[in-house]
Amino acid sequence: MMLIHCPYCDEKRPEIEFAYAGEAHIARPDAAEQQEMSDAQWSEFLFIRDNKRGEHCERWWHANGCNMFFNAVRNTVTDKFVKTYKMGQKRPSASQISKWNEGGNV
Amino acid sequence: MSFDIKIDQGVEIPEVLQSGRVVAELAGEKVRLSLRVKSADRTAVAKALGFTLPAKIGATSSKVGITCACLGPDEWIVIADQDKGGKLYGKALKLASKYDMSVTDVSFRNIGITVTGEGAADMINVGCPLDLRLAAFPVGSCTRSVYEAVPILLYRRAEDSFTVECWRSFAPYVVGLMAAHRSGAAST
Ligand SMILES: [Zn+2]
Repeated sequence: MMLIHCPYCDEKRPEIEFAYAGEAHIARPDAAEQQEMSDAQWSEFLFIRDNKRGEHCERWWHANGCNMFFNAVRNTVTDKFVKTYKMGQKRPSASQISKWNEGGNV
Repeated sequence: MSFDIKIDQGVEIPEVLQSGRVVAELAGEKVRLSLRVKSADRTAVAKALGFTLPAKIGATSSKVGITCACLGPDEWIVIADQDKGGKLYGKALKLASKYDMSVTDVSFRNIGITVTGEGAADMINVGCPLDLRLAAFPVGSCTRSVYEAVPILLYRRAEDSFTVECWRSFAPYVVGLMAAHRSGAAST
């Protein structure tokens, strides 16, 4: 079992308290935008994801803890959590992620 | 609003948990209030209620018959004895019309099981992977977590005493698991 750092609890907690919640930083179109979207665009928003190999920004939910959603950079090959951060923070740049990686930050 | 309804918990503590290194008991009916309060109003609401709403997730405050735990950034649970709870609920409801907050009576969602004795932390750890060493989970800590597959609320009342709360419908399962661990593992 992994320990995952929750940025709200500010603690490493057992993996089974968390639930994965898909790719992060996908903004939901607002009501007006939705009216303008074609079916193809809408299905793209709903279903099409990068499915990235390597460092992936994704949402996690501390369901059996503080009940908050947060974002994480996780390597989809090694399963290493590079960093977790609060909702509302910007998607980290590639150079930021490599800096975290060098720092051994989890 | 009256809270003195006594309902059958439908849970019995098996004999194996009634004596020895770990003793389990039902905590009795409590009043449970779920509070959501915006941070700007936290101090004012706490002052009006008469106890602290701790700002740190996992921290608790307590006074006679009332325990208040911070479960999330804007979420607290208040667990009170029945003689305190009714008045508290009325007070909180009034505050909710004045401040940026909500209050929900969740008294009958959970039941509490106290687990006490020198083997208490071991018993919890059989089903819950939290770090329960005193330094990591000191007396007064309270958090949601899991026991086997069951969502729980875990509160450390003293070094060797915990309260495990779970949904009422799960309680026979949780108590049964504890009894199985107790009788199956000599070290527990
Ligand atoms: Zn958390």
